[in-house]
Amino acid sequence: MSIQLTIDGVAVTVPEGTTVFDAARMNGIAIPTLCHQQNETPVGVCRVCVVEAGGRVLTASCVRPAENGMVVSTNSEKVVNARRTLVELLMADHPSPCARQRQSGDCELETLARAEGIGEPRFPKRLSSRGQDESSFAIAVDHEACILCDRCIRGCDEIRSNNVLGRRGKGFNAGIAFDLNAPMGNSTCVSCGECMVSCPTGALTNRRVVETELHGDPVESEELKQLRYFEKVSGTFLELNRNAIVRRYFKAGEIICREGEYGSTAFYIVEGRAQVYLATPIAHVKTSAAGGFLSKLGSGLAGRKQDRREGEADRRSIPIDAPVDLPYDSPLAELGPGDLFGEMTCMSLYPRSATVRAATDCVMYEMLRNVLDIMQRNKTLKAQIDDNYRRRALEDHLKSVPIFASLTEEFIDSLRSRVELIRYNKGDVICRQGDLADAFYLVRIGFVKVAEDHPEGELILAYLGRGGYFGEIGLLMEGRRVATCTALDHVEVVRIQKDDFQRMMDAFPEVRARLEAVAIRHQEENRRRVSASVPLDQFLTQGLMEAQSLLILDLEKCTRCDNCVRACADAHDGITRLIREGLRFEKYLVATSCRQCRDPLCMVGCPVGSIRRRNSLEVIIEDWCIGCGLCAKNCPYGNITLHPFKVGAEVKKKATSCDLCTDHAEPSCVYACPHDAAHRVDPNQFLMRRA
Amino acid sequence: MTGTENIFDRLRAIQDQHGYLPAAELESLSKSIGVPLFHLHGVADFYPHFHLSPPPKVTVRVCSDMSCHLRGADPLREGLKARFASMSDRDIAVREVSCLGQCDGAPAVSINDRVFRNVNAAQVEALAISALGGVLPAFEERDRGIACGLGSPPPFDLEPYRAVRELMQTRDYDGAIAQLKASGLPGLGGAGFPTGMKWEAVRKAPGPEKYVVCNADESEPGTIKDRFILEHLPHLVIEGMMIAGLVTEAHRGILYIRHEYDAQEKILEREIHRCYESGLLGNGFDLEIFVSPGGYICGEETALIEAIEGKRAEPRNKPPFPVISGLWNKPTALNNVETFANVPQILVNGVEWYKSSALKFVGVSGDVVRPGIFVIPMGLPMSDVIFQHAGGIRDGKKLKAFAPSGPSSGYLPASMIDVHVDFKSLAAIGSMLGSGAIVVCAEGTCMLDMALNACTFFRNESCGKCVPCRMGSQKMVDILAGWTRGTGTPRDLQLVDELSEAMKLASICGLGQFAHSPITSVLKHFREEIEEHIVRHRCPEGVCPMHP
Repeated sequence: MSIQLTIDGVAVTVPEGTTVFDAARMNGIAIPTLCHQQNETPVGVCRVCVVEAGGRVLTASCVRPAENGMVVSTNSEKVVNARRTLVELLMADHPSPCARQRQSGDCELETLARAEGIGEPRFPKRLSSRGQDESSFAIAVDHEACILCDRCIRGCDEIRSNNVLGRRGKGFNAGIAFDLNAPMGNSTCVSCGECMVSCPTGALTNRRVVETELHGDPVESEELKQLRYFEKVSGTFLELNRNAIVRRYFKAGEIICREGEYGSTAFYIVEGRAQVYLATPIAHVKTSAAGGFLSKLGSGLAGRKQDRREGEADRRSIPIDAPVDLPYDSPLAELGPGDLFGEMTCMSLYPRSATVRAATDCVMYEMLRNVLDIMQRNKTLKAQIDDNYRRRALEDHLKSVPIFASLTEEFIDSLRSRVELIRYNKGDVICRQGDLADAFYLVRIGFVKVAEDHPEGELILAYLGRGGYFGEIGLLMEGRRVATCTALDHVEVVRIQKDDFQRMMDAFPEVRARLEAVAIRHQEENRRRVSASVPLDQFLTQGLMEAQSLLILDLEKCTRCDNCVRACADAHDGITRLIREGLRFEKYLVATSCRQCRDPLCMVGCPVGSIRRRNSLEVIIEDWCIGCGLCAKNCPYGNITLHPFKVGAEVKKKATSCDLCTDHAEPSCVYACPHDAAHRVDPNQFLMRRA
Repeated sequence: MTGTENIFDRLRAIQDQHGYLPAAELESLSKSIGVPLFHLHGVADFYPHFHLSPPPKVTVRVCSDMSCHLRGADPLREGLKARFASMSDRDIAVREVSCLGQCDGAPAVSINDRVFRNVNAAQVEALAISALGGVLPAFEERDRGIACGLGSPPPFDLEPYRAVRELMQTRDYDGAIAQLKASGLPGLGGAGFPTGMKWEAVRKAPGPEKYVVCNADESEPGTIKDRFILEHLPHLVIEGMMIAGLVTEAHRGILYIRHEYDAQEKILEREIHRCYESGLLGNGFDLEIFVSPGGYICGEETALIEAIEGKRAEPRNKPPFPVISGLWNKPTALNNVETFANVPQILVNGVEWYKSSALKFVGVSGDVVRPGIFVIPMGLPMSDVIFQHAGGIRDGKKLKAFAPSGPSSGYLPASMIDVHVDFKSLAAIGSMLGSGAIVVCAEGTCMLDMALNACTFFRNESCGKCVPCRMGSQKMVDILAGWTRGTGTPRDLQLVDELSEAMKLASICGLGQFAHSPITSVLKHFREEIEEHIVRHRCPEGVCPMHP
């Protein structure tokens, strides 16, 4: 049946069920609107499309069905005035020019305001800020520019059925919200981009990774949509990110990325196979006397088989930024089609953890983090990574932790289907001190900060990277969490439920015994720290807590001759580890091997997790250090230096920190001081005497 | 998304257990009932009844709307805030709250959701401190509002449920509708749409699934009549709903009541229980009570439907009207408490009786000697209502203004006191009978202050769905607040006119369409007083702060 009505004096005929808005449009009459777009169910909330159609008030044409005999005016004085006022109202709170207007000049509100001839809005501006949300890598959220047209909400829930976006608050406090009002990046958003593509203003805009330009063949959005991971992503959104993903071809033998190099991309293997390995020798810097009595000290490389250090890890494999770990004894593995590597470098800009070389001719996608974010949030890929992990990495991961080395294949098999892979975003708390312990965690990607609350502030116990684990103490000892674990960056952890953990403890009493021993030691250390006679805070702030030994320089005797620095350099192949600067107590300058900082920044970002704390809280650098130098850069006291070694034709570096020449009767620097100004002292005695 | 049905019961259960809605609980609820997180957050954040973070041990909410505002709510609230300023936010908070429906007992407060009337600062302080200790004692009210009006006995002495029993026997549903249509019984919630026509439309609507809904969510400042009817004449309301069920062929009725009316809810529950026992209910028609999670907007019929469906109470675009597509998109007869209460009387006493002796419940509050609920003959002069029934103006003062029906009706000057209280007479002078919420202002009241108070109510209660109401009500408050602080300019008058017009014409529902009435009416009837504020930056009554 057809409907006959009059719009602006023109008689028109439309099929039954047509809205007034569509009836007008079909007959060449454009009615302005903000909240309505053709691919979404109309909601009539912006009211910009109101028309006069009889009745006491105006009616929103986008939701009003055309009726027989209806007489519609789209431009009567009432309509024009009301529309103008609505646009002026919206403009009063609009951060003009908004992000969309700045990016592409097509903010629909600003365009409409110009068309309506609205200059400076006469209404008072909103006083309270509505805020921005920068948490997503792919989409920037500016609540200030949101006009609550609900287009993003319908895009998310109706078009994509992702059901993440809704309205929050009420009245003038209403806004859009992801899940339970989470920051977008921390929500269950799958980064499909539909909301951003739907948004008429700068409230949701594309976030480009501006600092990097990729070199390679552009990948058309049509081609990407063929890939399962992108099939549910808005084509327009992919189009906007056209330059953030490229196709690269590598010849067999070609190096794709090198360990220690900085980068900002991840790779997805489309065709071919690649080898991933460490080119740096698996060893640490060892300083020793080259020959007999009074001979000069020298530094060389030694693996753990030759030189076993206290607190050294006993891992079987080396964690890297790829779906596999590398065996300690022969650090080499192979990747194939469907594998994704470089996620941590891409998401958190850490140095490459390993070198990747094309084993055959390869085709890869190289992408920036906004595209990686889209991929990672894809449910298919997530399932695939999950499955990969369960199949290929879980066993290595568990067994690489010496404590778990005795778990049987059979038991690990039984865990495979039961573990959960969970993703956290920067700042998310994974478990909180005092909460009930309900799971055990292994870190797959990113860094987790483990900290204890103290009245003086938080004490950071560790930064755990890939291969790290946490949560066992709460499960074993008290039932409650003894520390708070927070995601420092983009983190993925493997969650093993309490029940499964208990099952493991029951089946492997030796694992339980070892874990318990660690837990008991940890708690004793805690108690000791808390009951220390010198206030904890003083130790902490001075960064000297429980140092094994301190190097002090008596500044009244010191003539700044720098003999100590030179002696240190002489002892370490010309690389000094001693810098004649540091904390001062009265007339003493204190240099230590490691200050056991309250916040051990050196540990953040190590791409292979080779810098750890010993139980004493001093750092130890594990053999698989790749010499990228990030820890040295991060240490605020300059206590970590890089020591170069020639390996074949290449020069490789190893990080090292001053160990006060512990193997020797006296450190070279002390020995070399002609003024008796340098001394090695026991910190407790020294501090007590001063106090 | 039918998983949202009964969602508020689930949320209440969580809140009863934890004191608020912890994220982990919402996450597991989302999984178990298959309702997305955004939806749970969307409703929990919308309704004042729910807390997304742990609330203080004691929350004192001071009603800030018209009648309480006239009776000293501002100094009461500020005094309490100052008194408890040194205490932790986790222990006690003093907040504003929208009309608690106790306008005849102003000022009213709620302490941890229990309502207290006719309070002073010392009493509230004592109650709050007691509540901190875990004890919230019953508070003896000094003067509970009592209907007087036509004297006794009230003319509601018909035999309970006689009308519905007769109708069950005769099954003359068309006849009943004809009677209602002939009587002209208007909807008494405010809009005045003829009840007979509404029910006939539902009756004629196709399909087996239909609903009867009673709107007992009265939340407009000054509106207290339904509270009285529910408390004293619950059987008339229930009988009216049963009759509606019979004539519309609906099998399920829902009585939607505001959550502050828990005393009335209990009375209704008992009455409904009795009806089930006597077989009046449960044989083809079921009746249940739905407790509102809060908010004035829920009184808008389609917002109320959305609330029952477990969604944010955002009014729908109309058409379609609820008679065609109401609850769960089925034909729905949705009426006010007083409308339902009138139906059995009309069926028993006849059309002529109603036409000649129709009665109207009104609430009178504000600056009157005897605030309360009164039953008056439709068409009684306003002067009789205010000066005879309500005892005239307090403290021997003169009348300055009155609102015939809360903020929506706007304020009329004392010179219009002879207007008759009925739909036509009030409409003729640019106001409305509405819900009979008569609020009286004595001399010394600043009408700009009253307009700002009423506009603030609408701003606070706007659901935020549509632009004119969400943004217009906010800007209106900003502009008027500027006037009270002496920063107004004559140019603002034009802007307020334009804004009022846009809100009136373009808003989705009545809230936005009438949110301008307080200031429009005051500009019409008290223009000089307003201009004094804007032009000479002076408040003639000395009420407004007049400094930025």
